[in-house]
Amino acid sequence: MRAGFYPKLAFDGIRKNKRMYIPYILTCVGMVMMYYIISFLQYSDTVVYLKGSGTIKSMLGLGSWVIAIFACIFLFYTNSFLIRRRKKELGLYNILGMGKRNIGLILLWETLIIAFISLAAGLFFGFAFSKLAELGLANMIQQDTNYTLSVSFDAIGMTLILFGAIFVLLFFNSLRQVRFSSAVSLLKSENVGEKPPKGNWFLGLLGILILGAAYYIAVSIEDPISALLWFFAAVIMVVVGTYLVMVAGSVLFCRILQKRKGYYYKPNHFVSVSSMVYRMKRNGAGLASVCILATMVLVMISSTTCLYFGCEDSLYSRYPKEINMDYRFLSAKDMSDENISALRSDILNVTEDYDIKPDEIFDYRTACIAGLLEDNEVECDSSYMNYSNMVSYSDVYQFYFIPLDDYNRMMNTSETLKDDEALLYVYRDDYNEDTISFNRAGSFKIKKHIDKFTDTADAALSMIPSMFLVVPDIEKTVENFQNIAYDDGSMMINLRWQYNFDTGLDKEKQIELYNELESFYQNNDSSGIFKIQYIESRAENKDDFYATFGGFLYLGIILSIVFIFAAVLIIYYKQISEGYEDQARFEIMQKVGMTKREIRKSINSQLLTVFFLPLIGAGLHLAFAFPIIQKLLMMFNLFNVTLFAVTTIISFIVFALLYTLVYKITSNAYYNIVSGAKDKV
Amino acid sequence: MSILEVNGLRKVYSTRFGGNKVEALKNVNFSVEVGEFVAIMGESGSGKTTLLNILAALDKSTNGSVILDGNDLTKIKDSSVSQFRRDKLGFVFQDFNLLDTFTIEDNIYLPLVLAGKSYKEMNERLMPIAARLGISELLKKYPYEVSGGQKQRAAVARALITNPKLVLADEPTGALDSKASDELLKLFCEVNRLVGQTILMVTHSVKAASVANRVLFIKDGEVFHQIYRGADTDQQLYQKISDTLTLLATGGDRR
Repeated sequence: MRAGFYPKLAFDGIRKNKRMYIPYILTCVGMVMMYYIISFLQYSDTVVYLKGSGTIKSMLGLGSWVIAIFACIFLFYTNSFLIRRRKKELGLYNILGMGKRNIGLILLWETLIIAFISLAAGLFFGFAFSKLAELGLANMIQQDTNYTLSVSFDAIGMTLILFGAIFVLLFFNSLRQVRFSSAVSLLKSENVGEKPPKGNWFLGLLGILILGAAYYIAVSIEDPISALLWFFAAVIMVVVGTYLVMVAGSVLFCRILQKRKGYYYKPNHFVSVSSMVYRMKRNGAGLASVCILATMVLVMISSTTCLYFGCEDSLYSRYPKEINMDYRFLSAKDMSDENISALRSDILNVTEDYDIKPDEIFDYRTACIAGLLEDNEVECDSSYMNYSNMVSYSDVYQFYFIPLDDYNRMMNTSETLKDDEALLYVYRDDYNEDTISFNRAGSFKIKKHIDKFTDTADAALSMIPSMFLVVPDIEKTVENFQNIAYDDGSMMINLRWQYNFDTGLDKEKQIELYNELESFYQNNDSSGIFKIQYIESRAENKDDFYATFGGFLYLGIILSIVFIFAAVLIIYYKQISEGYEDQARFEIMQKVGMTKREIRKSINSQLLTVFFLPLIGAGLHLAFAFPIIQKLLMMFNLFNVTLFAVTTIISFIVFALLYTLVYKITSNAYYNIVSGAKDKV
Repeated sequence: MSILEVNGLRKVYSTRFGGNKVEALKNVNFSVEVGEFVAIMGESGSGKTTLLNILAALDKSTNGSVILDGNDLTKIKDSSVSQFRRDKLGFVFQDFNLLDTFTIEDNIYLPLVLAGKSYKEMNERLMPIAARLGISELLKKYPYEVSGGQKQRAAVARALITNPKLVLADEPTGALDSKASDELLKLFCEVNRLVGQTILMVTHSVKAASVANRVLFIKDGEVFHQIYRGADTDQQLYQKISDTLTLLATGGDRR
């Protein structure tokens, strides 16, 4: 046989079936491009020098895995359409005397051609758009980058390996399908059609159970730590559950509809329900993918925009005042009133050069320890802790003891307390007992619940709920905790004095003051009093915050574009390929007496269901994901539920509009194909 | 009383750029009486399919009129064509045209569902027809699970269930083996004789044509000849048709 025989046959095969192959090749090109871009960003110098590049890199790494797995599933899915259509042609070759080996060669060449086109075009577009992506990233977080076009060989290597492997698998899959079928079955395969799947009760119910469990987890989780632990489990459960429900559950649902004769035998339900059940098994996977993608897009966009717009909030709760000073002490004696006064006057010496109005100074001492709360008993010593009792992290609290004097001074009150009494303020939780007792460290009667205490960065930073106890004698209280110590004998209880104030200065002056305070402590050693001392300036950290949160938003947008692109491709491809299949069916229906209007109506009802099922699914997922994501956002000091609700709702509306647009376009394409069936027998 | 009257029917196809014109039907005139079973025969390219398409209102004629049950098909509005087809006509196709997405039962119901009938009524209509056609056992199966002959019987049931004025059959035995063909033709005769169903069948099988009451021969876009059965048996009619076809073939050469 001539040398170019097989390549030519393979090429002709692709050319003649271009209606089917062009979307497939486009899909491959798109997947290669997306994968390249994301791995390019992962290895990009620009990203490495970003603040928080570690987080961004690991997120990109996760993203590249998601795309890789997704590409694999999706290409198999689309490839199965192709093979079905090609089987007839291959069967003919087989009957005309071509062996399975020869057909294998044709398939090999076909795979090679498609792989070559996809990788070449995909990488080309990848190079072109990766720079754009990089510039966008640098721009969003206000950092400079060079404008030279760069190519990442690591990323190319990864892309080639991944897609090489996928194409090899696809080839073997096609080969397997040809190998195990006889010539006759190959010839007929297109006509056989898929058997309408039997409604699988087991899988359908399993899917609903898994989904329900995931929803339950998402709703019932109360604290951020558990949220973080359970989040990925919940995500996987939702993915699995969605696939099962869409694949098996939807068939079940259609079967039930079919049983209801009054509903089923109506002109607009009859055709759409039967054709949905006919291809739901195959459709289900596609719909589930679209649903999952839509959910991911919505979750990413809503949470990252929330982070971005909540940046200021987060900054303020992390740095309650413009200048925040924090001193740690070794013993309760060290933080006596005299010592604190000395420290305070040091600060005032530095700040008097600046024209500042010391507005609302936070000036208070605390003693802080973590403990496990059971009913009204607290165990702070980890060596006594019974870990088997520890149901969840939600029982762990941070306890802050505050001297009554400091409290009265700050809040302008004149509370009085007896020796064993305390005022209680609970942050991010409730506490309804009358007393609280610390094992081996005394107990307090709660004289009064107070509903407000100054915002503290510390409590905001901590992921666990906090309790503030205003106590009459801090020295005595601390003494009681002396025995609760680390192995090296140092106390577990943390002693500190905070002095936070607003300056009313502009940004440059604030940073200047901050630097002067820093240098004061470098030059003047006051370490006789305190163990360690921190100074933090809100102005100085603002850029960092915006860099990090802007980076997150950018990543969210990039991944969303990728996923939306993929979802649109799935929808479009599905509609087009189904349009060709349905053409013949609608032709028959027209012959039997269906009017064009009825056809249009039936198509609409079918498309509406198929299209908006994933959107509804995504909306449901999003609604249930809301509480758990909100908990996760707490870790970024974001407690503004309203903001998150607003960004979520806006994201959903924008996405729904975009989705409807895609629906309009593809349904027109579909209708044109279907009604292109000429009026003839 | 005639149910179908075809007068001076002409159909001209133009090639894509309007250059060459092909006259598929020149001047076709005939009528079909209520309760008749008419077969139309002709060679490939004689215009049979064009004629059937026009009768089925799937195609428009260039000149002439087709009057079905008092309505002129050539003047009927596009929007009501489908409904007209659904109410007045039943179709049996060579390649069955059953939908794989429906069970046999649902395939048969399709025209009735489109007409908005209730399930109860549809079921009542189906049962006697299914029993007569011998497909009662197959109703829950899908088209690809049954044989060709069974598919065609299902298609006949679909054509009959609307009680159409006229059943149009396009090469109904074309995709069947001889045994299944014989069974199908027997069914056609039964339906024609027992129920009085009017049937118009296009075929090029002598065997199929020989069960009809009357056979029309089309050649070069015109009705060339016709044979009435009279008192002939199927065998005798078969012989006559064969003779006519031979004559047509040789006569055609002379012209």
